[in-house]
Amino acid sequence: MSQVAFSSWGRQVIDNRQGGDTEVEVAKKKLPVTFDGEKQISAFMGWDGLILNDPNVDVVAMAAEYAKHVQEDYCCAKCSPGKKGTRVMQDTLARIVSGKGEESDLDTIENIGELLQNCKCTLCMTSAIPIVDTVKHFRDDYLAYIRGENKEKKAVDYKLKMTAPCQDKCPSHIDIPAYIEAIKDRRFDESLDIIRESMPLPAICGRVCPHPCETACRRANVDSPINIMVLKRTASDYEWKHNHHPLMQPKPKKDKTIAIVGAGPAGLAAAYYLALEGYPCTIYETLPEGFGGGMIAVGIPAYRMPRHILQRDIDIICSMGVEIVYDTKVGRDVSLMELKEKFDAVLLAPGAHKSKPMGVEGEEEGYSGFLEGGIEFLREAYMGKPTGMGKKVCVVGGGNTAIDCVRVALREGAEDSILLYRRTRKEMPADVWEIDGADEEGVQFEFLVLPKKIVVNDQRQVTGVECLKMELGEPDDSGRRRPQPIEGSEFVVECDTLIPAIGQDPDLSFITEDTGIKITRWNTVVTKYIPLKNAADRDLNDEMGNPLSRTLLTDMDGVFASGDAEIGPLTVVACVGNAHRAAKVIQRWLEEGEAYLTDEDFHEDILSNLGVYDKDEDVPWLDAVQRFDQHEIHGKERASSGNYNEVELGFSDSEAIMEAERCLRCYRVSMIAI
Amino acid sequence: MVNLTIDGKSVSVPKDTTILEAARQVDVHIPTLCWLEKVSTTGACRICAVEIEGVDRPMTACNTPVKEGINVTTQSEKLTRTRKQIMELILVNHPLDCPVCDAGGECDLQDTCYELGVVRQEFKADDVNPETINHWPLIQQVPNRCILCEKCVKVCHELIGADALFVNDKGDRAFIDKKVENCTYCGNCVSVCPTGTMISKPFKFRARPWALKKVPSVCTYCPSQCQIDLNVKDNEVYRVTSDDEGTTNTGNLCVGGFFGYSYINNKNRLIQPVVEQQPASWDKAFERVVADIERVKAESGAAAIAGFGSPRLTNEENYLFQKLFRAAIGSNNIDTEARFGAQRALRALDKGLGLHGASNSLTSIGNADVVLVFGADPTAEAPGVDWKIQDAVRRNGGKLVIANMRQIHLTQFADSQLTYKPGSAISLANGLGRLLLDRGLLDEDDLKRTVSNLDELKADLAAVDLEKVIAATGLSRESIEQAADIIGQADKVAVIFGADICKSGFGTSKSAVIANLAILSGALRSDGGLFPLDEKGNTQGVLDMGVYPEDLPGFQSYAENKDKFAKAWNCTLPEGGLDADGILQEIEAGKVRFLYLSATNPQSFPNSSRWLKALEKVEVLVVQDIFPSDITQLATVVLPGSSYAEKSGSFTSLDQTVRSFNQAIRPVGQSREDGEIFAELYGRLSKTSVTFSQADTYAEISELTSLYNTASILDDERNTCLRKPYQVADQSLQYQLITVDCGVEGLQLLTGTSSGHFGTTSTWAAAPLEVEPEGLVQVSTEDAKQAGVVDGDKLKMTSVNGSTVGKVLISESVPQGLIFAPHNFIALGVQQLMLDGENMTSVQIEKV
Repeated sequence: MSQVAFSSWGRQVIDNRQGGDTEVEVAKKKLPVTFDGEKQISAFMGWDGLILNDPNVDVVAMAAEYAKHVQEDYCCAKCSPGKKGTRVMQDTLARIVSGKGEESDLDTIENIGELLQNCKCTLCMTSAIPIVDTVKHFRDDYLAYIRGENKEKKAVDYKLKMTAPCQDKCPSHIDIPAYIEAIKDRRFDESLDIIRESMPLPAICGRVCPHPCETACRRANVDSPINIMVLKRTASDYEWKHNHHPLMQPKPKKDKTIAIVGAGPAGLAAAYYLALEGYPCTIYETLPEGFGGGMIAVGIPAYRMPRHILQRDIDIICSMGVEIVYDTKVGRDVSLMELKEKFDAVLLAPGAHKSKPMGVEGEEEGYSGFLEGGIEFLREAYMGKPTGMGKKVCVVGGGNTAIDCVRVALREGAEDSILLYRRTRKEMPADVWEIDGADEEGVQFEFLVLPKKIVVNDQRQVTGVECLKMELGEPDDSGRRRPQPIEGSEFVVECDTLIPAIGQDPDLSFITEDTGIKITRWNTVVTKYIPLKNAADRDLNDEMGNPLSRTLLTDMDGVFASGDAEIGPLTVVACVGNAHRAAKVIQRWLEEGEAYLTDEDFHEDILSNLGVYDKDEDVPWLDAVQRFDQHEIHGKERASSGNYNEVELGFSDSEAIMEAERCLRCYRVSMIAI
Repeated sequence: MVNLTIDGKSVSVPKDTTILEAARQVDVHIPTLCWLEKVSTTGACRICAVEIEGVDRPMTACNTPVKEGINVTTQSEKLTRTRKQIMELILVNHPLDCPVCDAGGECDLQDTCYELGVVRQEFKADDVNPETINHWPLIQQVPNRCILCEKCVKVCHELIGADALFVNDKGDRAFIDKKVENCTYCGNCVSVCPTGTMISKPFKFRARPWALKKVPSVCTYCPSQCQIDLNVKDNEVYRVTSDDEGTTNTGNLCVGGFFGYSYINNKNRLIQPVVEQQPASWDKAFERVVADIERVKAESGAAAIAGFGSPRLTNEENYLFQKLFRAAIGSNNIDTEARFGAQRALRALDKGLGLHGASNSLTSIGNADVVLVFGADPTAEAPGVDWKIQDAVRRNGGKLVIANMRQIHLTQFADSQLTYKPGSAISLANGLGRLLLDRGLLDEDDLKRTVSNLDELKADLAAVDLEKVIAATGLSRESIEQAADIIGQADKVAVIFGADICKSGFGTSKSAVIANLAILSGALRSDGGLFPLDEKGNTQGVLDMGVYPEDLPGFQSYAENKDKFAKAWNCTLPEGGLDADGILQEIEAGKVRFLYLSATNPQSFPNSSRWLKALEKVEVLVVQDIFPSDITQLATVVLPGSSYAEKSGSFTSLDQTVRSFNQAIRPVGQSREDGEIFAELYGRLSKTSVTFSQADTYAEISELTSLYNTASILDDERNTCLRKPYQVADQSLQYQLITVDCGVEGLQLLTGTSSGHFGTTSTWAAAPLEVEPEGLVQVSTEDAKQAGVVDGDKLKMTSVNGSTVGKVLISESVPQGLIFAPHNFIALGVQQLMLDGENMTSVQIEKV
């Protein structure tokens, strides 16, 4: 039997109340059975309708409650139908629930529902959808109230949350519509303040974020997505260009202290949020002073992320009472156990700074010209150290790191910079704009090739790499067509330098066995989680295959983990989101002695799993203004030897305002009855 | 161009035009309520929604740009029903207090309901009935009348840059709240409010809008001269309004313009002539003045008589004043307070550039690519200029460079703020010039064509020692380089300088280095501009009228044009003439025995105590003013003049635009128009019958000078006369070699105008006084700590000239080593501490 009694989700009505067991795909696959591992979800109400698991839930009362919260807690009041319409909606429903309703009130609800379609944004507009659904499909329940015949129904507790497709998709859950609206209102500092609530590295994520948010932008259903990332950069640049001070104010200092391993995005972000709460944090960073930032620094070349701008974000965090101890490797200069002794809590955020081996013949031979890996190459170039690179450079891989390597190779003086990838351009995991950037700078691409063997001369110097040609076969688990070698197709690509850049791993050797902290087989730190299952009894996992709702507490009490070393190598924005949660859990653990997730956390995870964006939604809007792309320096000269000047130049304020005006402000409210 | 159809009418408009603007071009009326042209669109009311073929929802015309080929329908049954129902929603729980609402008669909500035929109410909801906010000074907020159009919020944030108002709370409880500490009391929120939500407390319940007569006038508080309407009834000014359309200030006003009018009907006004401190008739007063003039003249010659004209008086009055002195009395000992400021800028600009004021109209500031504000606080000295700068920087993509010893209101918008050490303005300007040269940012061709001493210019710049500049200014090399790059890379450059430059010691030299910077930066081209600011309303006019010994009206050298005027005036004109400094010395020497102060109070002059002593000494002191003061206490004869509301005349704004206005109310009490007083004296002294006529005087000025470009007099309410465009002729610019540097030592006290007050006049207006009742001494945290004072403590400041005591305000806007105090409050007495003709002095401070 279907778990669902009624659903109007996705504008498709399925009614099993009078028997029948039609399945509701979303409810079966995407929604967990419980809210928090224990409490059953009995109904879900939101922008796209109503899902009723338990037929004993009082739908009328639920609609009234929903309307009340929309009006009192979420409605921004910045348009007349929204401000007043939801008020009339709330009061009309309240009147019905209190037994003073009339049948004509149901017409009023539908009328208001229609008027709300004229709203400025989608918050109040979409809130009308489930309410009107209840009037249409639960009319008898309403009439029972109006006639004083309603029966006592099951008592439920409601959990509410406002979200938006972009905000939901952003791993840091930045309140994107709010910061875009602030830009629209020419309030750049306020915009940045909103960004910092969920993203303490705005200059960075305004430049190098792969911006998954833009893949969930409803404006794309009209024409093309909002340039969300560059708007973030605009807000961030405005502050430093005008010498303004950040608006946030840390709380008074508290007694308990936290040690953080690694001054990368996760470590810095966790330190920021803990410092904001008044907790003194000490970050231990392996690299020397001037190279803070972890992978954002040594993994992202300066032409994408200028050092002084990155340093400014770090300096702001330090100004809040965070100390960074440089040149100190945990496990070498200080042990994890020592940190555990000295501090009240420890957060492990060492990142993933070790290149994966490529698996080619000769890899272990220590040939001259065969470099350790892409990450190491980028780090040495960034730090101005000799990289061991020659004039004709081959980089193996298809991700952003591989692209960074070929582009840096040009800037380090390579005459030829060649990328070898075993599939085609279309399957490359690197961001399209990065590949295009490399193309423009004169990088050569060899697609559908598999390096087999390193070719060297008698001085053990690399002279080339022997490759096999590949062809694409059937799609694999990732949906990409699997490359297959063509027998006998061996050929040699000449080069004097070969750099493998096929992925990276965390170095977790500092986590000694005596700590009891378990490591996964993917070489990430195991953390505690709350198991959530869907109606088909399958575990709900995040995109990296980790359990959906994790507390980020390791097997050792008081030691938490975050960032690439916890999630698996991912993105800055994912590390920041993860670290923000870690900071919140650490605070709870320090103050209440328990590392737990709040209703807000669970609700966030449930929505992430459900997905707030619908690429098939028909969004009626006039497509009069096209997406605006930022200015960029063009031409090969931008990648000339030694030229690390920033390539992308951002928006002017007025361009940013114009782009912000395109935003449809797709807020929506979710309510879960448990 | 984009082509579209609106209600069947084809229209072609530029890209980015909104549907609303396009509709207006073809006379299609779309109703609006929250739309305000001068700010960004809000899209709150939704009643401008229109239908677009192929788009399955109504789109708001106010903020939807046009698209090629769209077919727009603005009227349909569905749209009408929706608009009406939205209006009904807006009216849910709207109070029914229209009869006593301040907006009654000028309420956009009423008008829109009327237009859309909203006659019933379908909806009901509980009334959240938010409380009226009454605790804000000067402005009351009645939230239940608010439709949340956000016009007030946007004007406050986008145009004024005050950022005080914001929407607080959620849903139906949402209301307009205020960060009171940010409010500048400009009153623009009241002006733009479409309903009776934002209310001026001084105006509330005093008059119905339809009972007021609007008289077009010009605000004279500052030289930006906003165009205003005096709203009058029963010989009283009840409020001041300004139209968005057809004014250079687009309807924006400041605290002075909006709230500062009440000095006009202040009960303390001088309303009767006084002779020997006894009330007297006009006839007796005139007799006494004439008798004393004739007596002193007979005994000591006309050179024993001196007088001051005033930037508070009209052009015509100042013209008459100088004519009275030169032709009827026979003395050229006339001057004005511009001697201590604007006159110096004039001298430098005239010498170097052949300019007698600003080189372009205020509008050009708003279109500049870069604005350099040097030693000025436009927000305080000329708010209208501040708004134009914000136009350039916040709306038109321009950049802002500020060189100032303090942080000012505009600092928040600056791309570069050069906070230079006191006494290093010349070094900084020279350093910027040197960097423009070094970094290849000069327009060599243009300079070759226009500058007569280019070789000298280059040699001079090359000799500037940047290390010394860095040491003197306390700035980093990078910051000066960044500023030079911003200035040098821009096409349209506006350079603005003000009190810190021209009112300070070496003011002429400092003005000259700014003139040099104007040459180097290309600001003198027709799309740029150079703008000297003076705080007083009609300073440009008083200079135009030649109320100083060196020139006759129209900047005609006195020595060279004496005969021409003597002939026109049918008299002989005296030789020589004393300026303010000369007059002071000669009073002290007993040689000047008769002093006539018209609308001038030397207590606001630098080294005011020396002036006060001189006034005590002078044998005959005639004071023509509108308020009593220590000076009227000393006067032999007091003649009650009148405010601009009580007279007809013209004023000249800082961009040399001349605007005429008519009398709005009769002079209060027995006071008279100042021009009438001068005419009467002229008649009595010359034994002719003279009646004052603005038109005749204007005509006489036009005839004898080339000031008024009659070809460009506009046919508008104020007969606006635009200046002749300034064109740089070949080899006409003279780079001025300035090497003097005037470093200072020790803690400096800088005086200037407060942004809440204008001269001393506004201290007679209740409203500005309510928000800033006294002058506070701004001290940096470091200096305050050293002196052991906190906010509100009394601080004694002692200079070589004496000492005074003021209340402390610890401020982040002043750096260590500099304290700032306003000179608007005579009671604060900071002008006593200044040296002759200066605005900054070394002081020692101690807690009282």
